[in-house]
Order: sequence, then structure tokens, then C-alpha cells
Amino acid sequence: MEGASYQRFPKVKIRELKDDYAKFELRETDASMANALRRVMIAEVPTIAIDLVEIEVNSSVLGDEFIAHRLGLIPLTSERAMSMRFSRDCDACDGDGQCEFCSVEFHLRAKCINDQTLDVTSKDLYSSDHTVVPVDFSDSSSGFENPEDQRGITIVKLRKGQELRLRAIARKGIGKDHAKWSPAATVTFMYEPEIHINEEMMETLSLEEKTSVVESSPTKVFGINPHTQQVEVVDPEAYTYDDEVLKKVEAMGKPGLVEIYAKEDSFIFTVESTGAVKASQLLLNAIEVLKQKLDAVRLSEDTVEGDDQFGELGAHMRGGG
Amino acid sequence: MNAPDRYERFVVPEGTKKVSYERDTKIINAASFTIEREDHTIGNIVRMQLHRDGNVLFAGYKLPHPLQYKIIIRVHTSSQSSPMQAYNLAINDLDKELDHLKAAFEAEVARVAPEY
Repeated sequence: MEGASYQRFPKVKIRELKDDYAKFELRETDASMANALRRVMIAEVPTIAIDLVEIEVNSSVLGDEFIAHRLGLIPLTSERAMSMRFSRDCDACDGDGQCEFCSVEFHLRAKCINDQTLDVTSKDLYSSDHTVVPVDFSDSSSGFENPEDQRGITIVKLRKGQELRLRAIARKGIGKDHAKWSPAATVTFMYEPEIHINEEMMETLSLEEKTSVVESSPTKVFGINPHTQQVEVVDPEAYTYDDEVLKKVEAMGKPGLVEIYAKEDSFIFTVESTGAVKASQLLLNAIEVLKQKLDAVRLSEDTVEGDDQFGELGAHMRGGG
Repeated sequence: MNAPDRYERFVVPEGTKKVSYERDTKIINAASFTIEREDHTIGNIVRMQLHRDGNVLFAGYKLPHPLQYKIIIRVHTSSQSSPMQAYNLAINDLDKELDHLKAAFEAEVARVAPEY
């Protein structure tokens, strides 16, 4: 009884891997696991974001709370987040949640002196910890051509004489609490489709009928091979599980010409990160967080012992043990 | 006005146990586990893993109300096992599956992009 294990052995194959984008195949696992990973990546992987803003001077056109809201949404590089503590759990600070273990301090000072509009951006935010800084969005490949792309996220624009001076505290949090802490831009997965074309039935069709079948799909799934004049599958993953081809084939009076199944245990994941955490690291953190959640949900020994039917203490009630 | 605070979704208040269970009085080898401050993420994955167990006759989960942040997992087993055993086995198996997935992914990343 103790030796039984109903474990699955998932397989991964990466198709594309960039800093903020990853596309990979996940096989031999259940849809519930794929969905759990997706939910955790969006809502429960911790990151660091600005949570408390103290404004000294603000003579800009936007109100204090408006600017504070915008500051919270700026993504900060959060490699430290997994090892940091939540402010509410931190015992080192004297209760205000601003010590060096559980928070990072930022400051911003901007004043417009000349006639030109001053653009206050995320690059003007100075951090007390050089590992936690606003994410740099400039593409390394186009770094030399266009200085405009390297400005950072605009926070507010100042006219001559307007000033903005503030101090901000960034803390660890999860997307479930507020979307500013979500490290994922989008995370999607789809079932991998399996498309069968009945070659014998296909032979009975004229070229026009074949073209109409190919064109009935809103996305380019099928195509006609120019050499053999046969309908073939061009891009199975462009299939969006609309049934247009199946409906067309039935309307033509030839059901069974094309059969499309979704493989129940094969998923194609697309992960896009905001830049706070690398895309590959996002998945690894999600697995770690999911393991922690499962650990928290395990039955402890004393909960079971206290039970008079199943626990060891109850054995005497069943007549010795 | 009546909406609960966002942190209620995942912060277990003092004095409340995270996991508790109630045996069913009328059916033997049946129990309902109440897990505080969790949602479909854990509920669905534990339920699907319990289905894979041959000794489990029934496994289901529900959220009694979307604004009460807890789930109830109900398990019936045959006499060969007990609901607690099945539950713990499911969690252990999921843990091992996640370990395997992590190792597989790390190996794949090392293969595709060794500089990471």
C-alpha cells in the first residue's frame, strides 16, 4: 500500500527561448497541472513592486495618488524576490515594514528648469539596491540607432518650474494581492492538435473543392501542395479549435474527410514576462511556489492522530493494536 | 463596501488551521478535507491526482462560495486505504511530479541555451 505511486513523468521540449518570451511543449501530464502552472505564473509568483510612496513636493499636473499608482505599476527586476520575506512576516523591522531585509528604497528628484518639457521616466528612479531596478526595455540590438527607445517608462511630464520629489518603498508581493506584482504579461497554453486527412476521400474531390476546403479555415492550417495538387497540413498549430473546416466538409456532403483531435496530454505553452523575471526563471519559480503550496496543504501527523478511527491513538478504541 | 480585503485570499488568520477534515458519519472510509485560503489551483490538481488512485472510489472538490476563500475536497476510498492516506499519497505524488518537471525543464534550458 505504501509502495504504490501514481506519479506522472512529464516531458518538456523548448521551441523558443528569449529573455522575456518562452514557447515550449509540455507532454505527458494532465490539463489540471498545465492550468495550475498557468494560474501560479500569473498570480502567485512573487515579485517586487513599489508599495508605499512619500511625496515631498509635487507641482506637476497629475495628483499625488495618480503618480503613486503609476509608480506601483513599474516593473522592477525581481531576482531577489524568491529569497526575500514578505513585509508582514518580517521580524527584523520595528513594525513599519521598511527594513533592508523586506524592502527596497527608491527616490526620485526631478525639476524642470528650461523651456523644454521634461519627461520624468523610470530611468529617473534611483534604487538603494542595484539588483532591484526598473526594467530596462531597450532592445540590445537597436541600442545604437535610436536613443528615443531607451527613455524608459514615462511617469509624468513637467513644465518649466514644476517639480517632483518623492521617496518610495518597494516590497515583495504576489499577483493575487494586486496586479502590479504579477510577473507575467501573458501565459497561454493550447492542446496540441492532431489532424488527419482521409487521402482516399480527398482523391474524389476536384481542385476547386479542395481549395474551398483549404480556404474555409480562418487561419492558415491547410494548403495545397503545388506539385502534387493535394491538400496537406501546413501549420497544425494555427488551428484555433474553431470547427469551420469540419462544418464545411459536412456541408459538402463528405464528413470524415478531415478529422481533428486535441491530444489530451500534450500542451503548447507561451510565456511572456514583463521583464521583472526572465521567462524561463518564471516557470521555475512557479514550480517552486506550487511545491510550497502543496507542502502547506499536506495533512500533519497530529491532525490524523487525533482522529479516533484512523489514528494510532484511536487504535485502542478498536480493540488493541 | 462588503468586499473582503485582497490579502484574505491567501493569508490564513491566527487560530484557523490550514487543513482540517471531517469524517463522514454515515459512510465508512469517507472524509471531507477543508483547506483554508486556497482555490482551484490546488483543488483541481489534487482532485485529478486522487482520480488516478485505484483505491479511491470518489474524489471531488468545490468552492462553497467565491467570496469565502476555502475549498472542500471530498474523498471516498475502498477498505484497502483511507481518505487520509489517499490524500497524502496524492500530494506526495504531485510533489515528485513537480520535481521531475523542474529537472526536465532545467535540463532542457541547459541544452538549448547553455549560457543561462
